[in-house]
Amino acid sequence: MPLSRRAFLGALAAAMPAAVLIRHAHAAAVDDIAASPRTLQALGEAVLPSELGRAGTLAAVSAFQRWIAGYREHVELVHGYGTSALGTTGPTPATKWAAQLDALDRTARADGARSFAALPLERRREIVRRELTALKADRIGAVGRAPHVALALLSHWYDTPDATNRCYQVKIDKENCRPLATSARRPLPLAQVRT
Amino acid sequence: MSAFAKRTVIESDVCIIGSGISAAMVADRLSRTMKGRIVVVEAGDEAPPLGQRYALRERFMEYGENPWPNDHLDGYEMEGPLQSRSMQVGGLAMHWGGVTPRFSPEDFRTRSMFGVGTDWPISYDELDPFYQEAEELMGVAGEQGPAAMDPRAKPFPMAPMPLTYNLGLLKEWTAKAGITMWSQPVAKNSRPYSGRAECCRNDTCSPICPIGAKYSPDFTWSRLRARNRVTLYPRTLVRKLVLHDGSMRIASAQAVQRNVKGAGTPVEFRAKTFVVAAGYVWSSHLLLLSASSRAPAGLGNRSGNVGKYLAGHRNQQAFISLPIKLFPGINGQHSLLSKQFMRSPVGTEYLRHDLRVWESTFDRGPRLKGDDGALMLGDEVMRDWRERTRTGVARVRAYYDVIPDRSSELTLDPARKNAWGDPLPRLAFRDAPASAALREHSVGAIQTLFQTMASAGGGTVIQREEDDARGWQDHPVGGCRMGDDPATSVVDKWGRAHDHENLFVVGAPTCVSASCANGTLTFTALALRTASEIAR
Repeated sequence: MPLSRRAFLGALAAAMPAAVLIRHAHAAAVDDIAASPRTLQALGEAVLPSELGRAGTLAAVSAFQRWIAGYREHVELVHGYGTSALGTTGPTPATKWAAQLDALDRTARADGARSFAALPLERRREIVRRELTALKADRIGAVGRAPHVALALLSHWYDTPDATNRCYQVKIDKENCRPLATSARRPLPLAQVRT
Repeated sequence: MSAFAKRTVIESDVCIIGSGISAAMVADRLSRTMKGRIVVVEAGDEAPPLGQRYALRERFMEYGENPWPNDHLDGYEMEGPLQSRSMQVGGLAMHWGGVTPRFSPEDFRTRSMFGVGTDWPISYDELDPFYQEAEELMGVAGEQGPAAMDPRAKPFPMAPMPLTYNLGLLKEWTAKAGITMWSQPVAKNSRPYSGRAECCRNDTCSPICPIGAKYSPDFTWSRLRARNRVTLYPRTLVRKLVLHDGSMRIASAQAVQRNVKGAGTPVEFRAKTFVVAAGYVWSSHLLLLSASSRAPAGLGNRSGNVGKYLAGHRNQQAFISLPIKLFPGINGQHSLLSKQFMRSPVGTEYLRHDLRVWESTFDRGPRLKGDDGALMLGDEVMRDWRERTRTGVARVRAYYDVIPDRSSELTLDPARKNAWGDPLPRLAFRDAPASAALREHSVGAIQTLFQTMASAGGGTVIQREEDDARGWQDHPVGGCRMGDDPATSVVDKWGRAHDHENLFVVGAPTCVSASCANGTLTFTALALRTASEIAR
């Protein structure tokens, strides 16, 4: 019988030094999320705006997965001004988020569904709302510090140029390389795309 | 091969200690005006080349990682508000914002004009040609403000950064409040300049421009090194300057080439002239570390003023909600500037400040909970965000003068030492009593101005902030202030140490005061002026 995700992580914890364990745990969590993306995709459908359509939601989820895969622990953060203190990135959030995805599936099974993805959209949102309420989540903050994977996914997408463009319904393309000369004019409306 | 492979004594005509923006200006001018050998000694590592900066920027944007790897020395956690740990080839100006206002003529004469602070030993007019030279070397894009507020003898080398659609609207708004504003001058290319690209609004100027449209000192070093006009020794920490046996001239800089194991190889730099260009902290620090039996309080310190009169400024900031549609993100680091408040009116309590306006996303970002406290998901978040961005928010900020005090100082900390056993600096900023007494008035007057601005646009001040964490004063200067009187200053008006004829200090540490504007352009102008004296 194959090891469950949790059992695998538990076995790793017993067998390895902490630093090695953390690296392996991060990689295992990344692999695990990538290997069974349906739950994360279903979460994307529940928390991201429907105007993204299926393709847009999948793209947002994929970008979030790449973010998780690219996370590195204990890397120096950009210096703050006014202090000699240095900061580093924290522990990987991937293991916590993988476990939370598991928990969403478990909750769905307790509901009698095959998986979180098999639940109707509104029921998925109810579950996410309950989880975020229990965590006292009240803002869309930095991705890496999100206490729940649902909030991390929201944070990640809402920080993109696409999200800003959609909000303002014009092509701002923030933080992208753009001609200087066009900065003085009102941004152009987004092309209407049938979804 | 290491530059030290064959020798541990290095001789030159001019030895520049530090490789930040002031050092780059000195080296640039000397390379054009003298024939001698110029050596530059930098404690930090080389900065990553331009070709790597897009990738480094991506890591910064995605994860907040420092885009300048290895840009500091380990073990330099110190007491007091240090501006930045950055220490590498190019210095802090590798991640500066590129904002380059000049100081105003009034800054150099606050005692004569307003009865506060100390007059500089030079005037704005004396510095004007060096301001111009610095602007041309770096490539400054600027708009000429009204001549009475913004005097200059020659035009900016580049046309201004265009006002974005947002800033255009905000300029109309400030005009309703009776405030004249214009495009902030910046060391960013509004057209291809000096072999570097035109700005394309990546909008991460600070901390990293990925295309080199913003000036940083590495471009100067690359050019001078390619032409063999300077020899730059990175990873080489100068620990002490040593006097000649028979005079008060500086004979050598005793340094250590840092190796990967944390120890180091001793190196001696001998030169006819030494230029300390190590910023407001490390310049004073080095002079204090260089104490000897003939200079028991440190070099240049017969007056006891090395490390004294640190100075900066504070700001008041507000976010103002306005009934206009803005589109934040067009070029968010660019701002409007006014110098309308740089001259304290006669007969009123002293207050001088600048004024800037930016577009802002404050209180206009996506949110998880609505006004009713209910948690939103899916379309609700986007709908709420769209609704709230029907109106815009402006960020307004005023830097106001803090008059320097002698007790605002850098001292050696006996409790903290670096890997070579040298005491680290300890920093403490304090207002002069007159400045402390004015603070409440200053804050009140600026807040009243913000309220007036909000009302003129039919808007509301939704947040006020003051930048005063841990006693921090922004854009710090001082520690080796210039003056005509050796009893009250460290260097003369050319940056030459009163006590040592072949020792110069340049840039931020020599400033008498910090004005109420970013100081970098002034540091570079002062550095160029010093270089003109060295070559004379």
